[in-house]
Amino acid sequence: MKKILLYISIATLILFLNSCKKFNEGETNDEELITTLKLNFTPVGSSNTQTFVFEDIDGAGGNPPSIDTISLRVGTTYNVSIELWNNAAIPREAITPEVEDENTAHRLYYTPSAGSNITVSNLNNDVNGIALGTTSTWVAGAASSGNINITLRHYPGTPPDKQASDPVNSPKSSTDMTATFNYVIN
Amino acid sequence: MKVILSALLLLISLISYSQQCNLTLHGHVEDPDSREKLSGATVFIIELNKELITDAQGNFEFKNICAGSYTIRISHADCKTIEEKITLTKNRHIDIDMPHEKNTLAEVTVSSIKGTQNTGSKKELSGRELEKTKGQSLAEALSRLNGVTMLQTGSTVSKPVIHGLHGSRILTINNGVRQEGQQWGNEHAPEIDPFIAGKLEVIKGVDELKYGSDAIGAVILVEPKALLNSPGYRAEINAGYFTNNRQWVTSGMYEAQPAKLHEFSFRLQGTYKRGANAKTPDYRLNNTGSEEKNFSITAGWKKHSFSTELFYSFFDTKLGIFEGSHIGNITDLLNAINSNKPDPVFTGENTYHIGRPYQAAQHHLIKSKSSLQKGKNKFGLQLSMQTNYRQEFDIVRNPANRKAQLNLAIATFSEEINWEHKSNSHLTHLVAFSAMQQDNKYAGRYFIPAYRAYYYGGYYIGKYNKNKWELQGGVRYDNKNMYTNRILSNGQAFDKYGFNFSTFATSVNAAYNIFEGLKTNINFSIATRAPQPNELLSNGIHHGAATYEVGSIDLKPERSFNVNWGANWSSKNKLFSAELNIYNNRINHFIYQQPKPNEPVLTVAGAFPLIVYQQNNARLQGIDITTKWSPVKNFDWQLSYSMLRAKNIDSSDWLIRMPADRIGNIFSYNFADGKNLAASYISAEYNYVLKQTRTPDETFVKQDYKAAPDAYGLVNIDAGTTFQLHRLPVTFSVGVRNLLNATYRDYLNSMRYFADETGRNFQIRIKIPIQTKK
Repeated sequence: MKKILLYISIATLILFLNSCKKFNEGETNDEELITTLKLNFTPVGSSNTQTFVFEDIDGAGGNPPSIDTISLRVGTTYNVSIELWNNAAIPREAITPEVEDENTAHRLYYTPSAGSNITVSNLNNDVNGIALGTTSTWVAGAASSGNINITLRHYPGTPPDKQASDPVNSPKSSTDMTATFNYVIN
Repeated sequence: MKVILSALLLLISLISYSQQCNLTLHGHVEDPDSREKLSGATVFIIELNKELITDAQGNFEFKNICAGSYTIRISHADCKTIEEKITLTKNRHIDIDMPHEKNTLAEVTVSSIKGTQNTGSKKELSGRELEKTKGQSLAEALSRLNGVTMLQTGSTVSKPVIHGLHGSRILTINNGVRQEGQQWGNEHAPEIDPFIAGKLEVIKGVDELKYGSDAIGAVILVEPKALLNSPGYRAEINAGYFTNNRQWVTSGMYEAQPAKLHEFSFRLQGTYKRGANAKTPDYRLNNTGSEEKNFSITAGWKKHSFSTELFYSFFDTKLGIFEGSHIGNITDLLNAINSNKPDPVFTGENTYHIGRPYQAAQHHLIKSKSSLQKGKNKFGLQLSMQTNYRQEFDIVRNPANRKAQLNLAIATFSEEINWEHKSNSHLTHLVAFSAMQQDNKYAGRYFIPAYRAYYYGGYYIGKYNKNKWELQGGVRYDNKNMYTNRILSNGQAFDKYGFNFSTFATSVNAAYNIFEGLKTNINFSIATRAPQPNELLSNGIHHGAATYEVGSIDLKPERSFNVNWGANWSSKNKLFSAELNIYNNRINHFIYQQPKPNEPVLTVAGAFPLIVYQQNNARLQGIDITTKWSPVKNFDWQLSYSMLRAKNIDSSDWLIRMPADRIGNIFSYNFADGKNLAASYISAEYNYVLKQTRTPDETFVKQDYKAAPDAYGLVNIDAGTTFQLHRLPVTFSVGVRNLLNATYRDYLNSMRYFADETGRNFQIRIKIPIQTKK
């Protein structure tokens, strides 16, 4: 009898020692938060880079995001690279390398408003040869204004079922970030 | 599947083979301490539905019984009901010790009609009906009771809903201790192993006051069986397999009382359960697996008038969440909702593996309960400690990320002292003081703040029984001080609040035996519930629902005024019985979530609909009816109907997420016991759930993403028998849920936006009891 009691107490003790999980209290940065989208525009044959920024530093809710108006020159072709940041984190966190590492699970879509004089092409590809879009080529046509939406989609699953034909609202993927910029071509 | 069908056929043919039964079971009931002979005790053989009352000498005798193993339930007005398992192979005499608890305040039992549940204040799930649920979650098991439904998040997470109310409006009492886990969200299921329970009860009325002033809905009691009260040992092995999600479950129990130490008794119990992805009739849902590891230890000491019990339980679970329901933003949500079927990327994997998103939760409970009987007084002390640890693993960009995005740890201590006094044989009083301290910590994503809360309270309950009357009344007061602390992510900003809530509750109950077989019960209760931390202070994205939820620190406690009337009738020949329960629950300052579709919250991932916590006056009215009829010998038909009308009085609109009306049918045939088989039965169920047409008005403001799903009907079959295997009475049962493989969605399952409910599910169960020979 005494033995049984002893076993029970030992078993209980071991369980307690095992079950005391600890974690550091407090809120951590939202690892998935993207506060900032930067577009770096370099005209072909030039080294003058212009940057336009979408930033929502306080994340969901709170203050509305600040969005630059993209200003481009008539008839100019630009090499565009995208930078994603979490500027709410300390130190700030670069998201673009993560997206590039997971290139088969991500895709950026550039959707100019109807009747736009902007064409976006030449998106860089993932390792499977399907668009990724962290770099692209923009051609600004005749003087006009409008808006352009940039959406980063994320594919779940291993391996992700990413196909070239997937539309921006494909049920296979979900939105990590979406930003709409106004633009002016003059 | 063929194997199961042939097993079913074999079972039915075995059951049909029966033979003469002429054994006699006689026995004697007495109090082990005083050796007082207990006359007027009810001895009930559950499997045979036979009942006798002991004579003046405490004797009883059943004649013409078949060989087999039986469960005998012995109850007496002054004692705790006990159950004993016996095996009958020849004429036999048994002596039953009934521990006499003279002063125990018994809960109102509206009726002693066997075979039906009690109306008004108590509904119970035990015996065979409970065994049919082995392997299911607590909420699934409870939903067999009329008036109880489930709020689900997919097939793995379910919470009980009683008369339309759920969450913190329902108190769950696990072996006498108020469960304090993370019950904040709709996707937080109670952390309790149903295998612990010898019976599950839902009570309303005066006895709710023992557990809190905030039982706006009802109280669920998860009650283990009493420890062995005679020397010897008993063990039980339960195992089950479910084909739909390849879920298997095993549970073992061992209990003993040493021959040399009659005062001591103990029990060990453990359960392991694991399921793969669940399948709807058309597709398998990825990442809907689950795993559960639970065990408990109980040790009791009883000498003369002193008894003490120590209980420890551990619950550990990991639950997969259907990936197709984890939503990026409102546009994605609408896309997913508008396609009537999940994208193939989210279906088709048949695996036990659980990936992101998933939840993991652990719950520890230690309880010590002691009581001392001194003449007409009984003094009790209960101390308990619980810790609950929950982690939520969201979908992350980086697959190398192994961290949980939300960690919550809540520790709760509670103390209660009580004094029960029996003035005379008709009147008893119970006075108690209780206190509770709670500490919540969190890390990662913000859901609720860290907080410390201190509660104290007290209650009085009086019960009076005389002739045809049972009268009860009670009052309770609680005070809660809560200090919340939010540590914002930059590590410097703090957000602190202090709250103080006083809550009051009272309840009166009157039951009257109009004549033998007809009893009526009326109850009036006031309960007050302080707002929960999530209702006060939540602020953030809820991925499961694609909403941005905002709490309000101005919320007041909500208060319910509940009138409940019940009646219970059974015909003289006991072939027909009926019970009726009508309620009107008026709730002032009812806290609910109001969608604000015109104020979307913009985030970098797109727009999220805003939902805010608000208060309004509400009224929930309903009727539960159950009838049972035995038109021919051994056959009975149970018909039940449950109706609820839940309105927001201020806006005169229906409340969202309320269960639709439903009708249940159970046809059972109990076979006569044979030489080899006993307690054999086959039952068929047909449950029909109507379409919920009473949903919030969408004319001006969008309230829901998708209209309520259509009505559906489900057919379930169960069959079981008990046979002797090496002298052990082994119970074997088979069943099938959703026999017709119906495709349906349920209004109370948040997964209805994305996917169908699970399809046909065959199940096999075996129960092997082992005990000392008597």
